[in-house]
Amino acid sequence: MLSLLVKRSSFLSRDSFFKSCRNLYIISSLAQQSHSFSTSIRNCSLLTSDLSFLSKNYEGLSPNFLQRFDISSGFLWGGVISSSCRRLLSSQSQAAAVPSTSDGLTVEDIVANNWPILDENESDWKSHASAIAQSIHLIKKRLKWKRLLVKLEILSAQLDKADLWDDPVLAGQISREHGLLMGKMTDVKGFEQELLEHIDMIKLSREENDAELESEALKALLQMRRTIKEKELEALLAGEHDSCSCYIEVQAGAGGTESLDWASMVMQMYKKWAQRRGYGVTVVDEMPGEIAGIKRATIRVDGEYAFGYAKAEDGAHRLVRLSPFDSANRRHTSFAAVAVIPILGEGFSRVQIKESDLRIERFRSGGAGGQSVNTTDSAVRITHIPTGITATCQNERSQHQNKASAMAVLQSRLDKLEMARQAEINAQHTQSLSENSFGNQIRSYVLHPYRMVKDHRTNHEVSNADSVLDGDLDDFILSYLSASLDKDEDDM
Amino acid sequence: MKLTSFTRACLSSLFQPVLHLNRRTLNCASSLNPQIPLFLRPATYKSTISDLRKWHIWAKNLASSVGSSFLEIDNGPDSILLHRELNWFIEDAVEKPSALSNSGNGIEVDDAGLVSLRARLEELYLLWKQRIELRRPFQYLVGCEHWRDLVLSVQEGVLIPRPETELIVDLVSDVIKENEELRDGLWADLGTGSGALAIAIARILGTSGRVVAIDLSPIAVGVTSYNVQRYHLQGKVTVQQGSWFEPLRGYEGKFAGLVSNPPYIPTENITGLQAEVGKHEPRLALDGGADGLNDLLHLCNGAASILRPGGFFIFETNGERQSMFLLDYMETRLKGYFRNVKITSDFAGIKRFVGGYRT
Repeated sequence: MLSLLVKRSSFLSRDSFFKSCRNLYIISSLAQQSHSFSTSIRNCSLLTSDLSFLSKNYEGLSPNFLQRFDISSGFLWGGVISSSCRRLLSSQSQAAAVPSTSDGLTVEDIVANNWPILDENESDWKSHASAIAQSIHLIKKRLKWKRLLVKLEILSAQLDKADLWDDPVLAGQISREHGLLMGKMTDVKGFEQELLEHIDMIKLSREENDAELESEALKALLQMRRTIKEKELEALLAGEHDSCSCYIEVQAGAGGTESLDWASMVMQMYKKWAQRRGYGVTVVDEMPGEIAGIKRATIRVDGEYAFGYAKAEDGAHRLVRLSPFDSANRRHTSFAAVAVIPILGEGFSRVQIKESDLRIERFRSGGAGGQSVNTTDSAVRITHIPTGITATCQNERSQHQNKASAMAVLQSRLDKLEMARQAEINAQHTQSLSENSFGNQIRSYVLHPYRMVKDHRTNHEVSNADSVLDGDLDDFILSYLSASLDKDEDDM
Repeated sequence: MKLTSFTRACLSSLFQPVLHLNRRTLNCASSLNPQIPLFLRPATYKSTISDLRKWHIWAKNLASSVGSSFLEIDNGPDSILLHRELNWFIEDAVEKPSALSNSGNGIEVDDAGLVSLRARLEELYLLWKQRIELRRPFQYLVGCEHWRDLVLSVQEGVLIPRPETELIVDLVSDVIKENEELRDGLWADLGTGSGALAIAIARILGTSGRVVAIDLSPIAVGVTSYNVQRYHLQGKVTVQQGSWFEPLRGYEGKFAGLVSNPPYIPTENITGLQAEVGKHEPRLALDGGADGLNDLLHLCNGAASILRPGGFFIFETNGERQSMFLLDYMETRLKGYFRNVKITSDFAGIKRFVGGYRT
């Protein structure tokens, strides 16, 4: 009988779904949430308007089954709900009962059952379900689930305040963050819901000996097992600023031309890495060495999650090789310090820079200036007097653009400083804010006497050093991100 | 409200004859055919990637060979700067510049294995040779100068706008922020050169603000007209050929603002100038007479008559000595005509600008 219900519900077209909920929900950002959208299509027959129809025509549904669609509150687990609705519903949603299958199985139960996870090709629903449940568990851990729910509660309370819009900037920030976290929460709830639905379907098809339905449900489960693997990856980048673009700065350590050359190799590695990922790369500031290499350089990396990935590179990088700059060709060890700074973007800045706090200087001024000098060098150095932090840009073709570019770098540096200060106050030391010092050595690149790149934080290592220097960094980055996020169970 | 529309009507009637006069000038300017900057030319020339690479290596070696020798001779560009210019040269000359970078992945090459250039490869050789051996300014090579948020066409015969001069626009911007009447008034840029100041100021003025850009050089008038058209400011900027205030006769006391970067280098310093400047830029735009003050003093005197009460002026100078002299001149010799005369420094800390208000 339930199979009929399922067929009936999937039969509903998008249009009728929109019509039936037009007055209730505002559909937003479909593109982003296409996954949850499909879930909501599946659930749509259970929207209030269709509900009477269902209960009238299909009496005898298990009460559990109805209950898990949370009909009373009208809340749609995987649904796309306008932010105002979210606000009204959020408190209810968090208090809602833990979803389960018709016979009371929850996602946590499945995790606890520890069913063996077999190869994808094995048509064993328990194996699929177990794999999916493990993934959901991991995603929750990466999202710091408990903290996320508490944060959501706090943000909801802030959104409910009558005087919220007295400070439109703050209100905008709060509602954006609320929307972001809410999206993450509903995604996860949607996965749980979907998993349980598939299991229900399999159980039912077995009861009814409907082989076709069983194979369909199994297929759906396998599909979900595959897509949720990608979601695991996405959850690695759930930090507040992970989606931002960023600056990557490289500074050569002591040790003459050899270390300047190493700094330029490191910079090259990041340029290539960024290009591989399809990010835009712009050189903002570059201080070349006299013979070779660079003393320091800053690049701007533009694209989604640039900071989320690149933040894993913050720290000192060590090179061991026979130096081509040593006349005796001896083995040298050099260091390059890497700092990664998120670009928060307009409206998100933590620090309001006062014009009067700035000192702006020509970076390399020569002689009389003005008409007497024709130079294409219009670099400026901006100093933020209260903090002493400076920023320079010389790669733009006009002074105006160099100044704008240096201001943007300065803004991001000050924002980072402020975030570090806040983090210290909150005693939440995070890796991304670690001290940019040569003491914090994160990775070694050995080219002699053997070839190996090893990350000291994760012990991840590869012997193909050339490919790493050619920008093949993703394995290092992902292993670091998962290691740093997956270690503690406390937040589950 | 009444006052504003009145002012507007007055201004437009003032501006008409200027516009009218200008038709003659524009015609004469267009006959000069200003050069199109390299980056705006069609990419109709082809080269194999290996030939282009060969050129690139040759050009890099030539840039490296300079070392700091120019810097030591006359404060000219060193290798680091020349390498940066070479990158910009490629940006302007090659349709898909990534063809030459390490990340080149082949998409820059067409079916026949060729890359598209905006000039013949032989011309690229010639131009870069001129840059190094003749010290021809980079901006003349590529036919443009990036200045503020503008890309201005420049060519031999026109002064290449300097980074310092950008600050005049910031100072004018500050002034009109506080004074709506100046924002919608009539402004003049005397000795406009490539039209840099006139265009940048026109872009920050209000809807009824207008700028008259004047230069003695027909080449400068042609280049300015071209730049004005590129920024679609024909309705806002009028370009006129003439000497300083001459074309403005009859408009005494009507101008809300006056800006100028006149020639201010003392004649005796001209021979010792950096090669890019002394050997290639127009002397007319550089030589300010025995002490460099000839034109600046003329401008100060003219400002007293051309500006309306409350009108603002700002001039660029050779530095501290000239700025102090002008300040003193205006406070003593032109006593009573101006108020709030101030000196402002450029980003190198040199006292570069003198500005103030007509009383």
